[in-house]
Amino acid sequence: MNTAYRMVLLVVTALAVSGCNERDSNDGEVINNILLPTDVVLNLFCPDVGIKDERCVLDDPENPFAVVAVLEPDQVPEDEDGNPLADDKFALANALPPGPTGAKARFYLWATALAGRQTGENQWYTARALHELYDANSNRVFEDELIKEHAKRAYRSVLDNFYGQATFGQFGDNSVPFQLNEIVARSIVFSEEETGWRSLVGSSLEGLALLGEWGYTYNVETDLLTRIE
Amino acid sequence: MAGISFFKSIRKVIGLGAAIVVFSASFASQAHAADFVTTVKDDGGWKLQVNGEDFFIKGIVWGYSPRGKNFSYNLWAESDDFIRKVLDYEFGMMAAAGVNANRSFTVIPPKWVEYIYREHGIMSVINPLMGRYGASIGGKWVPFTDYSDELTRATLKADVLEVVEKYKNTPGVLMFALGNESNYGLSWSSFEIENLPEGEQNTAKARYLYSLYAEVIEAGQKIAPNHPFTIVNGDIQYIDLIAEYLPDMPILGSNVYRGSSFTSLWADVDEKLDMPVVFFEFGSDAFNAREFEEDQLAQAEILKEQWREMYNKAAGNGEEGNAIGGFVFEWRDEWWKYLQTENLDVQDTNASWSNQAYLFDWAEGENNMNEEWFGITALGTKNSDGVYTARPRMAYDVLAEIFKMDPYTYKKAAFNQEIDNLNMDLYALKGEVRQLKAESKEEKSRLRFEGGSLIGELVVKGEEESIRIDGENALEFENGQMAFLDIGFNPNQKISGQMTINILGNVADKEPLEIAYGRRALPVDVFVERDPLPEEAEFLPPDARVQDTVTFTDRERVEIYDFNAKYEGDEWDIEAFYHTPRYHWKNEGDFFGLVRETTDMAGQDIWNAKAPSGVEFAGKAGWGEDMKILAGDEVFWGANPKVILKYSWNWGRTEFTFMHDEDIARRGDSASATAATDIQTRRTTLYAKRDFADGWTLEVGGIFASNEKIDDTFTRYEDGVIYLDQIEDEDTLGARVKLSFPIFGHRTWIGGHYAGLVADGGDILREFGIMDPTMIPYSPWGNKMEFDAGMNITFGNVMLTPRVMYRENLVDANPSIPAEINPNPNLGELFPGVSPRNRDDDPFAVLDNREARSAEIFLTYDPTGETFFYDWDNDFKEDAKFAFNLGGNYTEYPTATDSFQFFSLLSNSNAAFGVGLPSENVWSASSRMVFNPTQRNKYILQLKGGFQQSTGDPDGGTREFYELHGKVILRNKHIIEGYFKKDAWGPYDFHRQFNVIFPEQFKLDYSVILDGSGFQPRETRGTGTRVGIRALYRGYDPEDEKTFGESQDGLSDYRFMTVFYVEYVF
Repeated sequence: MNTAYRMVLLVVTALAVSGCNERDSNDGEVINNILLPTDVVLNLFCPDVGIKDERCVLDDPENPFAVVAVLEPDQVPEDEDGNPLADDKFALANALPPGPTGAKARFYLWATALAGRQTGENQWYTARALHELYDANSNRVFEDELIKEHAKRAYRSVLDNFYGQATFGQFGDNSVPFQLNEIVARSIVFSEEETGWRSLVGSSLEGLALLGEWGYTYNVETDLLTRIE
Repeated sequence: MAGISFFKSIRKVIGLGAAIVVFSASFASQAHAADFVTTVKDDGGWKLQVNGEDFFIKGIVWGYSPRGKNFSYNLWAESDDFIRKVLDYEFGMMAAAGVNANRSFTVIPPKWVEYIYREHGIMSVINPLMGRYGASIGGKWVPFTDYSDELTRATLKADVLEVVEKYKNTPGVLMFALGNESNYGLSWSSFEIENLPEGEQNTAKARYLYSLYAEVIEAGQKIAPNHPFTIVNGDIQYIDLIAEYLPDMPILGSNVYRGSSFTSLWADVDEKLDMPVVFFEFGSDAFNAREFEEDQLAQAEILKEQWREMYNKAAGNGEEGNAIGGFVFEWRDEWWKYLQTENLDVQDTNASWSNQAYLFDWAEGENNMNEEWFGITALGTKNSDGVYTARPRMAYDVLAEIFKMDPYTYKKAAFNQEIDNLNMDLYALKGEVRQLKAESKEEKSRLRFEGGSLIGELVVKGEEESIRIDGENALEFENGQMAFLDIGFNPNQKISGQMTINILGNVADKEPLEIAYGRRALPVDVFVERDPLPEEAEFLPPDARVQDTVTFTDRERVEIYDFNAKYEGDEWDIEAFYHTPRYHWKNEGDFFGLVRETTDMAGQDIWNAKAPSGVEFAGKAGWGEDMKILAGDEVFWGANPKVILKYSWNWGRTEFTFMHDEDIARRGDSASATAATDIQTRRTTLYAKRDFADGWTLEVGGIFASNEKIDDTFTRYEDGVIYLDQIEDEDTLGARVKLSFPIFGHRTWIGGHYAGLVADGGDILREFGIMDPTMIPYSPWGNKMEFDAGMNITFGNVMLTPRVMYRENLVDANPSIPAEINPNPNLGELFPGVSPRNRDDDPFAVLDNREARSAEIFLTYDPTGETFFYDWDNDFKEDAKFAFNLGGNYTEYPTATDSFQFFSLLSNSNAAFGVGLPSENVWSASSRMVFNPTQRNKYILQLKGGFQQSTGDPDGGTREFYELHGKVILRNKHIIEGYFKKDAWGPYDFHRQFNVIFPEQFKLDYSVILDGSGFQPRETRGTGTRVGIRALYRGYDPEDEKTFGESQDGLSDYRFMTVFYVEYVF
């Protein structure tokens, strides 16, 4: 093999590995500040968005949290002294605007958390966000049957998929556990008293009937929900 | 009793000593000079004479190859007692048949040449192969010997003369023969040869071979003038060159497979050389490839006619008179001949080449020569001495009758008459009876039981805190039993296979110190809900459920451990495999390493992994020639269910390979305990390679991968700005170039590899294969621009291997910047932050493909290049008195990684560690030393140290650790192995993945092999019947929360375990 040919090979080698395309500031979209949605009209990106197992919310272009690492409390990195270095999902949720202005963002936040970790807690907060959205757009825009039904599905998912799980609520200085199945039952049967939002079912009796339809009986005296075998 | 035993022992020792003295004295008194062997010619023709007596060679090609072993088995490394038993059995049978000489491919040590001669009257040919299958030249192993190279010629000549010097006075040496069909192995290439017309190239090479023979024979004859020298030529190819270069050679030695007759060979030699002829190989296989059954009659008939012709061509019979005898190939079947490293305990029935001269089973377009069936005896089972028996075939009896006659003492008409009178029916019957008896003892049917093993163990384990509280009561005792049963099947010529069944008795729980095969049957607790019983209900709230723990103890006691079946068709071979070793395709065009090697069966067994699993279609002819299709649920360890297509072709002098790899699903569980699963994807590669005559090789490849990720979004962070970006077409493309060339004769290579963000490949081939000590951080993933270079610099027996690598990422890893919401009374604004990517939630992640600058150098000293220091089985094969390597690596990782993942058994899916490994500069150093003070003793020592990061969890930081591993083999029977590790990760992958280290780890294992089968490397089972004891110790740092689970929250300082075990192989 003569020298010229060797040189050609070396040049080919160099060319083959050059010209690669590193990213620069002209590539991509800057997203340092994302305006959170303040409207109350939710377009369901896929039929099961916000329901266990479905992760399409991460592909929803309207979801401001799609690129955010929504951290569970046990995922928050800490410094050497044990101080948290990031906000967990509750801290983010608490920072969202209260009331209808933050309802849609709350849905995206909790649905994103649910896509990251399938827990009854995340499903419960997603259902609540849908319930809140239903209440908000029913007051402001029109009665959105689709969101109402979706909120019911989300509540039911808590019962069907996470029946025995609990969440913690703040009671004074104490963190108190709540059985999710019981607060779901109350949210269905005593919707307005429990949540302050419009009922998803119309009346308590209809709420009890709906729970029965789902395979559960709710004892309003003892506040106990039972699965019908 | 002890006293009596002691005196018995003393008497035994004295008796043994006396026997040795008497034996030695008897040898000393008989010691005399070597035999005088020469050739003479008179009017009748040529004869060989030993000490003045005519000697017609009635020889056999002999070797001792037990079942389950191959060419690497070394009888001479066994004990003298065992060698003597083998020789007495083998040569006793040969002597009984009238055999008077043997030729062996392994050089028989002088004392055993003499022993065979004195005890059995059989002489030996000393046959240095003189580089036929490669040679160690200047300390480097050269697989294709270049007989034109001056250093090679000088080395080979010196090696042969050393052998001649060693044997020249050994009684029993018949002659020296050089090479073995070396004229068929002229495979080297050189600039000078390549410039010749193609038809002249081999002749030009042959000139170098025969001129070297001439040089060596001339010098050898001066050292050993009492013995003739010859060559082992392939038939009489290059007879003119033999006449030109070796006119004074006393004998022509040749391997000849011409069927029943040697045809014109006698006349040709007589005319052109006027030399006596000895055949170093001739004969016939005893398997009928058409009938697909053993065919003793055909083999015996051919041998009978061959010997008749040789007798007729002997001196004094009125014909050419140049036959002086020959060596029948071969004494006994060798079960390793086909495939050589596989199916060693099965006699393959695959015909691997075609020879029309053997008409009894020849058919147009079909192979008919069965390499594993050439013995005049069949390979039987072991006798009570542990020696594999030889079952005589009909040919043995026929030759025994012929060998009773001597062509020099019998008249021509008389021996022809005797041969005509041989009662072939009787010998056929004898052979068949022996065969039937052997088969009734060992069923060689379509489905047969081939053996197996029984393993029993008794375990004692404990940990400090429990022992402190409860004393010896805290010790835990476990016992376990396991059996492997091997079954083979061979229903017809085209289909063969085997399977192994594993059966568990009780399973000893040795965890956490040792996780072992069989854990599938350990008890498992399952939680079951039920309604409360009436007596429970009164204490429980209404509708409460009660949770019970149910322990399942009787699980999966029987499983198929491995399975393999092969169909060999005319145009396609099809192989189904399940947990049997498979190799990578990197030497057949898989430039990007898409097909990974799966040979670590022991590593898989820990987790009861069953890779590889699938089927391979390999085209041999027709449209599918050079095509391979591989499909299966796990075609290599950790693979997704996939299909791989490979097609190779040549265009001029350039080789091309196209590959496509398509995942058809994503695997649902981890390949081990915690190894993350990988996404479902696809890859296509194209590779071209061209070799140039003067040692230059250019390899170029392109890859197109993961196109399903196009338009997937990802975030990246630069100078305080977060970008939302997406995968584009060019991110799926990659290219790799490698140029290899010599610099002052030293192999050198440079390479470049560009891979787009998602252009993920596979494992790149390391220079020395799986034993390569390199710590250069090669990576399969894309998102890189990488350059590497290296050299193999050899000085005599020393090799220096410097290597460097430089790699940059196209997109760096994401840092951890938390998301924040800046609330406005009515308007929220989100700063999304960024977090380290992972391979599930993001289209790519920076992991072990991270930015790196790495340099290393290894020094290897290995004076015996034939047993290359980095061969996978070098532990077993290395035969140098001392060989070692020493080297180190320094690598800078200037940037952090994204998040590694692990497989969570709780969620049954991948989970990310959430944070990446920080930037770091790391180092490692290691040395491996092999000592062979004697043939039967071996010491292997390995030292390692380093400052390295985990492979997943950064918590705990970079670790500095030191390890010492050792293995001692005494008398090829006693094996002591163990390790001591300081501040090192635990023994399993998940320990490094989760960055779990222990202050001290210790292991010591002693076993003794009881059945003479000897030490075998890296075998998970079947190392022979043995008993042993193993001790393990693991210390804990009481402050280390990562080991709290094992150390009782830091209360225990250590944990230990002792295992007594016995393995019976049958």
